Amino acid sequence: MSSGLAVIGLNHKTAPVNVRERVTFPANNEGNLTRSILSLPGVLEAIIVSTCNRSEVIAQCDPVDKVVETILDTIAVIHGVDRQILGRHCYTWIGDDAVRHVFRVACSLDSMILGEPQILGQVKDSFRRDSAANTIGPTLSRLMHRAFFTAKRVRNETGIGVAAVSVAYAAVELAKKILGDLKDKSVLLIGAGEMAELTARHLIGQVMSPICVANRTFENACTLADEFGGEALRFERLSGALAKADIVISSTGACDAVIKATDVKNVMKTRKYRPMFLIDIAVPRDIEAQVNDIDGVYLYNIDDLQAVVSENLGERMNEALKAEEIVDDEVKKFMDWTKTLDLSPTIVALREKLETIRNGEISRMNGKLSKLDDGQREILEIITRSIINKIAHDPISFLKKTKSTSRREVNADIVQRVFNLHGFSNPRDELEENLENEADNRN
Amino acid sequence: MDLIFFKSAVVLYLISTLSFFIFLLSSSSLTCPTGLWTARLGFGCHSLSIIHRTFFSGFFPLATPFDALSMFAWLITCLFLLIQHRDSSPIFGAMATPMAAVLMIAGATLSYQLEGPIVPILHSWWLPIHVSFALAGNSVFAIMAICGLMYLYQERLIKRKRLGRIHKLLPSLETLDFINRRGLPIGFFLMTVGILSGALWAGSAWGFYWSWDPKETWSLITWFAYAVMIHQRLVLGWRGKRAAIMAIIGFALVMFTFIGVSLMFGGHHSFRNPTLRITGA
Repeated sequence: MSSGLAVIGLNHKTAPVNVRERVTFPANNEGNLTRSILSLPGVLEAIIVSTCNRSEVIAQCDPVDKVVETILDTIAVIHGVDRQILGRHCYTWIGDDAVRHVFRVACSLDSMILGEPQILGQVKDSFRRDSAANTIGPTLSRLMHRAFFTAKRVRNETGIGVAAVSVAYAAVELAKKILGDLKDKSVLLIGAGEMAELTARHLIGQVMSPICVANRTFENACTLADEFGGEALRFERLSGALAKADIVISSTGACDAVIKATDVKNVMKTRKYRPMFLIDIAVPRDIEAQVNDIDGVYLYNIDDLQAVVSENLGERMNEALKAEEIVDDEVKKFMDWTKTLDLSPTIVALREKLETIRNGEISRMNGKLSKLDDGQREILEIITRSIINKIAHDPISFLKKTKSTSRREVNADIVQRVFNLHGFSNPRDELEENLENEADNRN
Repeated sequence: MDLIFFKSAVVLYLISTLSFFIFLLSSSSLTCPTGLWTARLGFGCHSLSIIHRTFFSGFFPLATPFDALSMFAWLITCLFLLIQHRDSSPIFGAMATPMAAVLMIAGATLSYQLEGPIVPILHSWWLPIHVSFALAGNSVFAIMAICGLMYLYQERLIKRKRLGRIHKLLPSLETLDFINRRGLPIGFFLMTVGILSGALWAGSAWGFYWSWDPKETWSLITWFAYAVMIHQRLVLGWRGKRAAIMAIIGFALVMFTFIGVSLMFGGHHSFRNPTLRITGA
């Protein structure tokens, strides 16, 4: 068992909402919970990411397997959740799987809505918070920065976040493709309804002039208009309003058509053929389908918009495949970096062995060397040092030469065997020895 | 060797065309910038080629169909790059660069004789005025026709509710109509100056302003076509689809007047007239 990265957590795919809402790491604004995770034995670095769809602990642990269990226990205790239930809904990723998971989360490949942009900001906030709480060391710091970099690459090199995946947003995008800049355009909302209001809300941010609201019940129109900061309109004056509006959203409960093709045709002349975009959200339809045949008039109903959205979602899926390739690439790079850390014990051991030999030989000849003065002794030191440096140079460059990780392990093994480095400890053992020595000294 | 810049410009435009088309067919992310940069590089080479031709002929390089078509292609690319700067749609490039390449290749094949002194009548200050105004007008009309084609395609996609990749890459209907709206009076003005200066040149050179030469007749027809277009737009409020169709028909007339008439009917604008080798306008 060795040290390594681990991700322990749950998300919308693994846990039902009644579990998810209980495991949220509350009151972690200053990283107190992260610090309590860090205080567990074997946890070297930690960061907690918690959003509405996921809660997870990312940690550098030693040894991984045992510490993961401890962390799970702690999560159960913190939230007062049964350990068994938690175990059933949690996932645990270790090593390169953990790295891949973190990268996929940052790139929004693991989100409920594929490619949604908020998650990256949430991960960044967590990183900032836990950096301030001092729970992040070199490995996690590198991991998170690589995750942000990967997310940026995915944004730039794929179209994962480009296409609109909600009906309201798709309608706004379409309006821009027809009418260009929406700033000086006017919007007319007929009737009420959740989807219609949502679309109108999306438009309010883009349009300068107040939205017109028409309703059969004038009072309802007034209420809605107040809400939007728009103008209420009597239903009878609809045709006049049509002449002014560039975007019409219709969503009444009427059984027959509210806007007829002939109405629109007449209105187009007074509009001087300025194009018009009509969105029919009502079922049954409010606007006659023939309206779409009129030159310069574009009619989309809820099914059309839904089709656009599902097409866009399909496109996101395709882009996600490209994104996964980028993630794989970056995971490999990160793992290579951790492997270069793995090389250092061999290099340190090699240097140490050579140094031991040098010191041994010099002290063995100490009697014969006693005639040397200080200057000559210094020269001897310099010569012997440069000899061992030259000897060490080739095996070290041999170790560092290859990029392939499996090859590197083989090479490290060869160097260890040729120089018989077993028994020459790796730095971690050395550190522990030092600690033990210190403890002895204190006694 | 003397056409090295010209040839490399043509090759670069073709590479640019290819890159843009690959970009449109697949979504390979590198091809779009490649297309744009080869177009810019090609434009640079093209400019050097025109400078070279200026030194070569010792006067404005507009006297042969080769040079005139080259200048025409140069102006189209110039306008394309300017518009690209403001509204970057790769589809614009996919239509402008092949157009430039085709015009240049046509010029190179039409004009066999690149050397020799300029006919005295062409060594006049009227030449740059007449030809460059006419060509500038033509290139504005070319850009308008490209926008018209893009408009019709985009409109069709939106009406039929097929919003795919191409729909997203195409500029908005409003942008395309806007370019046509702005281009029309500019192109018309340039064309008018081109025709008037031609008449004045003829007056000073031959003593008569208008001789009903086939090119002159067709220019007048084209001029009337664009005059009607302006009327429809301003007075009747035509826009969008109709305006786009008009821009395409107008440009077809322009190209017929520019190349077709010279090849088919002869006259003093003919490409083949050995005594008066004057460019088409």
